[in-house]
Amino acid sequence: MIRSIATCAALGLAVAGQAPAAFAAPFKLEGEPKVAMILFGPKNDGGWSQAMDEARQRTEKALGISIPVAENIQETATSIRPAAELFIKRGYNIIIGTAYAFSDTFKELSEKYPKVAFVNGSGTTTGPNLESFYGRTYETHYLCGMAAGAASKSGRIGFVAANPFGIVNWTINAYELGARQMNPAAVTTAVYTGAWKDPVKERAAAAALIGQGMDVIGQHVDTPTPQIVAQEKGILATGHHRDMREFAPAATQCSSVWYWDRYFVPTIRKIQAGTWEPRPYGAFLSIKEGGPDIVCCGPAVPKEAADRIMSERQALIDGKQIFAGPLKDRDGIERVVDGAIFGDAELWKMDWFVQGVVTQR
Amino acid sequence: MFADFLLDWLSAVPGFAVPFALAALGLLVIEKAGVLSLGAEGFMLVGALSGIGAILGLGSQPLPALAVSAAAAALLSVLFSFLVVSLRVNQVIAGLSFVFLAQGLTGLIGTTEGWVNRPVEGLRSLSLIPLVDIPVIGPVLFRQDVVVFLTVPAFAVVAWFLTRTLTGLRLRAVGDGPDAADAAGIGVARMRYGAVAAGAALVGIAGGYLSVGTARIWVEGMTGGRGWIAIALVIFARWQPWRALAGALLFGAIEALIPRIAAVGVQVPQYFIAMIPYLATLGVMIWTCLRGNGGSLEPRALGVAHLREDR
Repeated sequence: MIRSIATCAALGLAVAGQAPAAFAAPFKLEGEPKVAMILFGPKNDGGWSQAMDEARQRTEKALGISIPVAENIQETATSIRPAAELFIKRGYNIIIGTAYAFSDTFKELSEKYPKVAFVNGSGTTTGPNLESFYGRTYETHYLCGMAAGAASKSGRIGFVAANPFGIVNWTINAYELGARQMNPAAVTTAVYTGAWKDPVKERAAAAALIGQGMDVIGQHVDTPTPQIVAQEKGILATGHHRDMREFAPAATQCSSVWYWDRYFVPTIRKIQAGTWEPRPYGAFLSIKEGGPDIVCCGPAVPKEAADRIMSERQALIDGKQIFAGPLKDRDGIERVVDGAIFGDAELWKMDWFVQGVVTQR
Repeated sequence: MFADFLLDWLSAVPGFAVPFALAALGLLVIEKAGVLSLGAEGFMLVGALSGIGAILGLGSQPLPALAVSAAAAALLSVLFSFLVVSLRVNQVIAGLSFVFLAQGLTGLIGTTEGWVNRPVEGLRSLSLIPLVDIPVIGPVLFRQDVVVFLTVPAFAVVAWFLTRTLTGLRLRAVGDGPDAADAAGIGVARMRYGAVAAGAALVGIAGGYLSVGTARIWVEGMTGGRGWIAIALVIFARWQPWRALAGALLFGAIEALIPRIAAVGVQVPQYFIAMIPYLATLGVMIWTCLRGNGGSLEPRALGVAHLREDR
């Protein structure tokens, strides 16, 4: 039953996936760009929202403009719409959203206000004047996994993960593939908390992993709790969203961080020049394109290993693929054939794990 | 190997059970006086934020910080009582709006004060010497933090208070038959104000324990629905304190178990395990329904506002 539903869903995606043609013409902005940002969280959340806010400030400096921000806008249409419309009524014509759950409302707004440009972080909707954006975090977590593999003495690495979704699963897989680059016997054990930010569950997960003898803890949740626990217990960690040395300076060896200004600045310039064409599948940004990157490495990563991580980072920029065939999952099923690379549509629904990943099923 | 796992798990259970237990105990006191408090999640958030705030803002030690949690939740509860006891606002609506009020208020204060994501030292665990040297049960039962040690006596005190003291009898009378209690000369409003404040203080400590004792960090909305579980626990326990403690232990045991089996690499679907306490709750509900109202001490005037002129 479940399998047949999954097959139907996959077929549906395959049909829907027949590529929509690019939108007819580039977007034309009337007047000077006036940019505003809407955050779903508080701007000092230490993670996702704060990274957005920091990118906002760097964008202001780079372009010499001022970008007002509305924070804590709940992920419901009745909260998002008035926040966006207030900006639009005051003449703002580029609106930056920051949440998956803004997707539908942003789609609606983009149709209602065709002369306003919308971009939305981790969104899923696009249109002639709407582009969603997210980062290829498997690249950065692959590099952080290398740091973890190099720093781990036992080869047993723990990972505190939020929900078993594609975007989390691919970070875990890439993390293990990275760790194996440095230590072929490295094993990554992932614990899902089932929540994006629940410090109680995150502490429990990190403590349980450390109790099992893991000596490096990776993470993909929205709080710095796993780092803090690692530091308390005197072991090492890698971070997500921002440079986690802010919260755990001794433990943090590598962080996957967001530099969204590397997307905002060129996008705003293109909108201004009248050459912006939203990508039909949204902007799914690699390290090369600007978005995700790493802050690496801490003192527990030996010099040679750090050099190798940096040369792998360059290789990724030069086009190296992480999920390239031949790639088998932990049950021995071939997931990517020799010579192929794993497509974006498959990435978003990745529900399998590479060899060396231990998780619950 | 298995013995180690069991020991590690069991010694973590009390710490996870305490927030559920104290919150359920607080709710029980409130509901025994006939006030339905769906605002538990909100009182917990207030307790969680003010505990961290006391440490970061006032330089308090963890234990006095929990007293601040209790005081803050009790203070806010006076507003709740004013709404539902004095103004006789619908208790369901007042409770729900209190959750939203507390979510917004704690988020705002935490952000403006800069208390978000700031690690604190938290409660230390104490060893009760020489009891801690007893093999197996020693570390499980006697190496815990002070709040764990105080939780069981707190249940004993509340159970004794409700059933063995005159004030406790009056409190229950107010919850069961406020009109008769009023006629007997008991101040219904005053009793309800008191019960709500005392109960909210306990719920506040439960929240403070989550931030100061367990997570050692404040993050907006960090109680993660545990207040709602406490509400369910009171129903599950049929308004009997010791059953509420047993329920809290069950939920705490599951919460401690889930990450541990995942960390060991046992391949059990985690959603199945996460379901067990709710399955148990349903099971108990069905069983008590089949047995008739067996042993339920549900206050008969729960959720009903008292107006003397209605008598």
